[in-house]
Amino acid sequence: MKNSVMIKGNKYGIVVVLDSELDFEELKSDIAEKFKDSAKFFNKAEMALSFEGRELTNEEQREILDIISENSELRVVCIVDNDKEREEMFKKSLEQKLMELSTNTGQFYKGNLRSGQVLEVETSIIIIGDVKPGARVVSKGNVIIIGSLKGTVFAGATGNENSFVVALDMSPMQIRIGDIIARSPDKPLKEEKKEAKIAFMENGNIYIEPISKEVMNDISL
Amino acid sequence: MGEVIVVTSGKGGVGKTTTTANVGTGLAKLNKKVVLIDTDIGLRNLDVVMGLENRIVYNLVDVVEGNCRIKQALIKDKRYPNLSLLPSAQTRDKSAVTPEQMMKLSDELREEFDYILMDCPAGIEQGFKNAIAGADRALVVTTPEVSAIRDADRIIGLLEANEMKQTHLIVNRIRMDMVKRGDMMSIDDVVEILAVDLIGAIPDDENIVISTNQGEPLVGSDTLAGKAYMNICNRILGEDVPLLDLNIKSGLFNKLANLLKKN
Repeated sequence: MKNSVMIKGNKYGIVVVLDSELDFEELKSDIAEKFKDSAKFFNKAEMALSFEGRELTNEEQREILDIISENSELRVVCIVDNDKEREEMFKKSLEQKLMELSTNTGQFYKGNLRSGQVLEVETSIIIIGDVKPGARVVSKGNVIIIGSLKGTVFAGATGNENSFVVALDMSPMQIRIGDIIARSPDKPLKEEKKEAKIAFMENGNIYIEPISKEVMNDISL
Repeated sequence: MGEVIVVTSGKGGVGKTTTTANVGTGLAKLNKKVVLIDTDIGLRNLDVVMGLENRIVYNLVDVVEGNCRIKQALIKDKRYPNLSLLPSAQTRDKSAVTPEQMMKLSDELREEFDYILMDCPAGIEQGFKNAIAGADRALVVTTPEVSAIRDADRIIGLLEANEMKQTHLIVNRIRMDMVKRGDMMSIDDVVEILAVDLIGAIPDDENIVISTNQGEPLVGSDTLAGKAYMNICNRILGEDVPLLDLNIKSGLFNKLANLLKKN
């Protein structure tokens, strides 16, 4: 059994691991053989392909692709670069962009959320209605409730600690921002004035305060 | 090895959850390690009755699906260090869990707790099957009404079909004044119809409503219902406790009422 060519699977498709020493011409015939052997197994699958173990020029890549299509019915949808650094960079910029999007863009939802209902959104959310006990709102950005908040809210679900929650009547069961969870006191506070309040996170604690100029100034989107 | 007890009734609104909360708390007060499991997925309220709703982060379905460890989902009741609650999920339904999974879960909990109390949902469908799956003993709750008794009878039949080792009856919300007038079935009547061992009778007590709303079980308190629940706990532990005389209260009450009338 020759080990110059190996086929491995990953979550996107397959990885072809190539011997780094072997002569390219020889390698090509090995690839042909390998794919002929496994043609039945792959059948007409569509998948992404990536190479490992050897630096390939564009020319060489194309040749290998030709060999694969000649010897099997596998359809290669795309070639995935296996460059760790680049991958990391892509991931970072993607996440950053997503986080920005989730806090800067928003949706509206009209209606009451009742016990057992869950509203999950990728962006910030403005709810026109009440969030009742047992209901749950999960947002990757901020949550603004034009109504009362008596259920559970999870803002900044992907870890954004700058997220905040605003409600006209703030008496939540639980508020979670990023990784921090705050719960309501066991004994209900004495009749508090019903006013718009904001919940935000600072130094690992969640604070609920009436909306004032100072607090508004501290908000960063 | 702990014992798994399921609290069930068939009919809704007869006091399963209240009974689970009170018996569980009572056993914890008697220094037993107790965990309460709310199996009413989608309509959870044991957490509300226990006053622990705001502490829920993970739930039964999370545990069963492997999203978290059992320890993470258990809510410790800080009033009673021996008492824990495994809340149910509100956003799912009964089909999220299978009887096999429940059996596995209760077997794991047996290692650590003396008593595992399952609060069963109303009905005889999936939720009921889940709740009784791992149970060694069933407490069937009924009220002295024909509809509740009819459902309890059906439940007892199903429990027998599922080879439940022990089935005990709790007659809830009994009103001695009505029994005396002949307007309500007596405890003996109910026991005769259902033909299972009685483990306790709870009087209709407005303190129950108060305690439920405050999220604090009244077991062990100086109320008649509190004493009745404590007696049930002692009987579960195997003690021989005579049935409470439920007439005392109505006697006192009458005296008070008479006093008021005179004034």
